Amino acid sequence: MTTNIQMKSETCRTPDKEERSLLRQVLDKIADHCRARSLFILHYCTGCGAIELPPTITSRFDAERLGIQPMVTPRQADILLITGYLSIKTLKRVILTYEQMASPKYVIGMGSCTINGGMYWQSYATVKRLLEYIPVDIYMAGCMPRPEAIQQGFLQLMDNIDKGHANTWKDYYHNYDEYLGNQQGLFGPDWHTPTDVIAEARHYQLFGEKTIGEHTALLAKFASEYVTKPIPKEIIA
Amino acid sequence: MSQQLPKILESIIQEIPNLIFKEQDRHRLRLELQKETLPALLELLKGRAGYLHLSAISCVDWPETDEFELVYHLWSYEIKTLISAHIHIPKKPGHYISVYDIYTPAAFFERDIHEMFGVYFEGAPDMEPFILTEWYGPPPMLKSFSSLDYVKDTFKWQEYSPDWLKDIEAKGGKVVE
Repeated sequence: MTTNIQMKSETCRTPDKEERSLLRQVLDKIADHCRARSLFILHYCTGCGAIELPPTITSRFDAERLGIQPMVTPRQADILLITGYLSIKTLKRVILTYEQMASPKYVIGMGSCTINGGMYWQSYATVKRLLEYIPVDIYMAGCMPRPEAIQQGFLQLMDNIDKGHANTWKDYYHNYDEYLGNQQGLFGPDWHTPTDVIAEARHYQLFGEKTIGEHTALLAKFASEYVTKPIPKEIIA
Repeated sequence: MSQQLPKILESIIQEIPNLIFKEQDRHRLRLELQKETLPALLELLKGRAGYLHLSAISCVDWPETDEFELVYHLWSYEIKTLISAHIHIPKKPGHYISVYDIYTPAAFFERDIHEMFGVYFEGAPDMEPFILTEWYGPPPMLKSFSSLDYVKDTFKWQEYSPDWLKDIEAKGGKVVE
């Protein structure tokens, strides 16, 4: 099994970074520019912040002016909006959803609860820092942020995407071991998702040193024909 | 005894030994009884007075006396008086009998209390974890459980030092917790 995967990865062509032609780089810029102006938010709401979204999306503030509108499936969505506090149970669903979204994907942490637990900082059931479990592109402070603040956040995110700064989704592949370790700290050592993140990291050519490690080694028992068995570091070296 | 209280309730109350009762209102009755007599009371209320609705079982942790207080909230659509029956059980071993055979919805309430307080109900159909699926700690609703300590052990904190706070701290001020 292990050798098979190795062979596959070796037969894959690894393009040089310098290989991208000038034209291609220009096209990438144009693609980023267009992408920033057509963002779909996943229609998934947690906590109390969801109540600020109807005025943001509908005619009063009309987010569609910015090219932002809700979308019903994670596969078609670009933005995962975490609207308020996350219980540990919800975080599990959020991670499952996040991993199903197609890259590039962006996470917005809305409200103070996603930053530091907010007014639920003392609760045993509420997640304190969202960025330990999934990478966050932008935070909107407030309890809750008003639609104006949300739109300001959207504009900032669009600007980041346009300039090519919104790259935290790559961080999830680069540092998957650390993220998985934090998730396992809450959900126990048997935690695993149906998404094969390690194989995706290879596909996107984002497989780095920290993609696998001691935490991903625990995934080995869930490996199958369809899910990559994490390769120990010694073999790769 | 109040004249307003229906006779059927009076007769039931007289049948149960060592029962203290306090009428707070025509529509609200508080009963305190021995834990052995509670199933008999529920049977009588259900059979004779039409108390078909067990709306909740609540639990109170009393650290001073080392006891759990269980409160059974009952409602009859005929008599229209809310009864709350209070019993005390010792914290150790913290066992009580299930009233699932009298009121089916008790299964949920007892499972919840088992999860949140650790009270074990003998004869309950299911005592598996209910809501706290990712929970490995002690029952979190106990007074002895410190939520703050648990949070400090489990989660990390975000550093918070904005410029305006630095200015205040330079002058000797600080954030009051």
